[in-house]
Amino acid sequence: MMSLIRTEFTKAAVRMRSIIIAVLLVGLPTLIVIAINARGDRPSRHDGNGDGLFRLASQSGLLVPAAVLSVTSGFLLIIIAGTLAGDSVASDSSWGNLRFLLMRPVPRGRLLAAKAFVAATLIWAATILIAAAGLVAGIAMFGVHAVTVPGIGGLGGGFSLTTGDLLVRVVAGTAYVAFGFTALLALGTLFSTLTDTAASAIGATIGVYIVSEILDSISQLGVARYGFPTHYLGAWETMFTQNTYSRDMIAGVVVQLCYLVVFGTAALLWFKRKDIRS
Amino acid sequence: MTDSVVEVEGLWKTFGSVSAVEDLSFSIERGQVYGLLGPNGAGKTTTLRVLMGLERPTRGSTRLFGTTVTPSSPELFRVGALVEQAAFVPHLSGMRNLRLWWEAAGHHMRDADLDGALAIAGLGDAVNRKVKTYSQGMKQRLGFARLLLGQPELLVLDEPTNGLDPGEIREIRELIGRLTSQGATVLLSSHHLSEVEQVCSHALVMNHGRLITSGTVSELVGTTRSIYVEVNDKQRALAVLSGLAVVARVQVQGDGLVMELVDGQRSDVAAAIVSAGLQLETIMPTQRLEDAFLDLLAAGNAAQPQLHGTSPANSIGAN
Ligand SMILES: Nc1ncnc2c1ncn2[C@@H]1O[C@H](COP(=O)(O)OP(=O)(O)O)[C@@H](O)[C@H]1O
Ligand SMILES: [Mg+2]
Repeated sequence: MMSLIRTEFTKAAVRMRSIIIAVLLVGLPTLIVIAINARGDRPSRHDGNGDGLFRLASQSGLLVPAAVLSVTSGFLLIIIAGTLAGDSVASDSSWGNLRFLLMRPVPRGRLLAAKAFVAATLIWAATILIAAAGLVAGIAMFGVHAVTVPGIGGLGGGFSLTTGDLLVRVVAGTAYVAFGFTALLALGTLFSTLTDTAASAIGATIGVYIVSEILDSISQLGVARYGFPTHYLGAWETMFTQNTYSRDMIAGVVVQLCYLVVFGTAALLWFKRKDIRS
Repeated sequence: MTDSVVEVEGLWKTFGSVSAVEDLSFSIERGQVYGLLGPNGAGKTTTLRVLMGLERPTRGSTRLFGTTVTPSSPELFRVGALVEQAAFVPHLSGMRNLRLWWEAAGHHMRDADLDGALAIAGLGDAVNRKVKTYSQGMKQRLGFARLLLGQPELLVLDEPTNGLDPGEIREIRELIGRLTSQGATVLLSSHHLSEVEQVCSHALVMNHGRLITSGTVSELVGTTRSIYVEVNDKQRALAVLSGLAVVARVQVQGDGLVMELVDGQRSDVAAAIVSAGLQLETIMPTQRLEDAFLDLLAAGNAAQPQLHGTSPANSIGAN
C-alpha cells in the first residue's frame, strides 16, 4: 500500500500543474498583505466576518492567515480541491493508463484508497501552504502582536487575543478549513470513477459545490441547509471574531464525515464492479 | 488436467442490446501463438478486456492458468498485456512510467527485467524523454517494454500494430517474432491476416462476436482454395463456371471472377473457359489467408443459424 501511495503521489504531484498551484497559493497571500497594508487603518463599513478579519489583520501578522483563508476557502481552494479530487481516478482513465494499472494488477479498492489519500494529502498541503504563506507575509509586513477585537456594532464585548491564542487558532482554523474539504474529496473521487474524462469529474465536483453555496445562502430553505456540504465551512471564523470555538465546528466535522462515508462507499462499490472501458 | 493457459467458456458480453461477444469458447495451450482474427467490431478487444479482468462477463467464464479471472486476479502477474494502444502518464518520462507501473504493485525495481525489456523495446535514450513527446510507435514499443518487465508467461496483444506507419509495423512484428521464438505463449488480436499468417501458429476467426472457425493457420489456409480469373466476358464465364462440378461459389470480383475449387485443378478451370470460346487473360491462385478469412466471414454470416452449436470448421463447406 505504501508503494502504491508513493507511485500515485508522484503521478499526481510531479507535474506542471503543481507548480502553478503553488505559485498561486504563495503569491495570493502576498498580494493580500500588500492590499491590506495599502488600505491601512482607514475606517471602512463593516460587513461580514471576512471583511472584519481584513480590518483587523493589519494589527498582527498572526491574523493574516485567517483573513487569507476566509477569502479563499469559499472559491479558490474549492476549485483547487475539486481539481485534485476530480482528477484522482479520471486522470488515469483519460490518459488510457488506468487499464494498464489494473492489469498490473493493482487491486481496485486499494488503488482507489491510495488515490483518495493522495488527493487528501495534496488538499491539506494546499491549505497549509496558503495559510503558511499568509503567516510569513503577514509577519514580515505587520510583525507579531497581540490583537484587540472591538465589540461588534458598538455593543461592547470586545476582547483581546494573545500571540499564543492567535497561533493556536490559526492552526485550528487551517486544520478545520482543510478538513472541510473532506466531503468534496469524497464527492470528487466518486465523480472521478463515474467518468473517463477528468474535466467532467472536476467540473461536476466544483459545480455541486457552487450550487450548494448558492442554495445555502437561501435562508427560506431552513434546516435543510444544515446538511449541505458547504454550510459549516465558515464556522471557524468565530474563533477570531467572537472569541468562541463555535459548536458549528463540531456539526461541520460530523457533516463532513457523513459525506465521506456515503460518497466514499458509493465510489468504492462502483469502482470495484465497473467495466473499465478507457 | 490440461496445460491450458487461457480458457474461455461460453463467454457472452452485452452492452445494452448490443452483443459484443456471443457464446465464445476457446482454449490456448502453453507455447501456442494464437491469432484472434476479426474485422473491426468483431468483439476482439471486448474478449481480451474480459480475459484481463477489466470487464465482467455477462455470462460464461474465463480462466488464466486454470484459475477463474476476477478483477485484479493475481494470475495477471503472469500475463503481459497490451489492450488497445499503449498509454502512459504523459508528463513523466518513459523510464519513470516503467518504474511507477512496476512499483505500484509493491515490487522492487531490482526484480524487474529492466535491461531485457529496454533492449527489446529498443528506445535508446528516448526512454528518458517525456512520453508526450513520443510517436505512437514509440509508445507501443514502450508498452512492450512495460509488459515484458515481469517476464510474463503469456502475452496478450490487442492489435499491436494498429495506427502505426509501415516502418513501425515492421519493427513491432519483428519484435513479436523475437518473443515468440523465445517460446512465449501469445494471444494476438488482429484484423490483418498477413500479420497472423506471419506470426501465429493458430488462429480463431471471429465476426459479430461469434467464433467462426479455429485451427492451425495452415489448416485454415487449407479450408478454401480459391482462384481468380480474368476473361473477356465475365457474365458468360460466370454461367460457364457455375455449371462446373469442380467449382463452388463463383462470383464477380472487380475485373474478374473468384471461385473456390472443390477437388479440382486450376487447369480444369482454364480448360473449361477456353473450350467455351472465351479468352483467358489471367488465372492465378488467391491462396492467401486474407482470402480464406474473407470467405470464412462471408460463410459465417450466411450460415450463422446452422453454425451455432455445431463445430464451425465443418460448416465452412470446404469439402
Ligand atoms: N463499452 C461499450 N459500450 C457499447 N458497445 C460497445 C462497448 N464496447 C464495445 N462495444 C461494441 O461491441 C462490439 C465489439 O467491439 P470490440 O470488442 O471493440 O471489437 P474489436 O476489438 O474486434 O474491433 C462493437 O460493436 C462495439 O461497438
Ligand atoms: Mg479492438
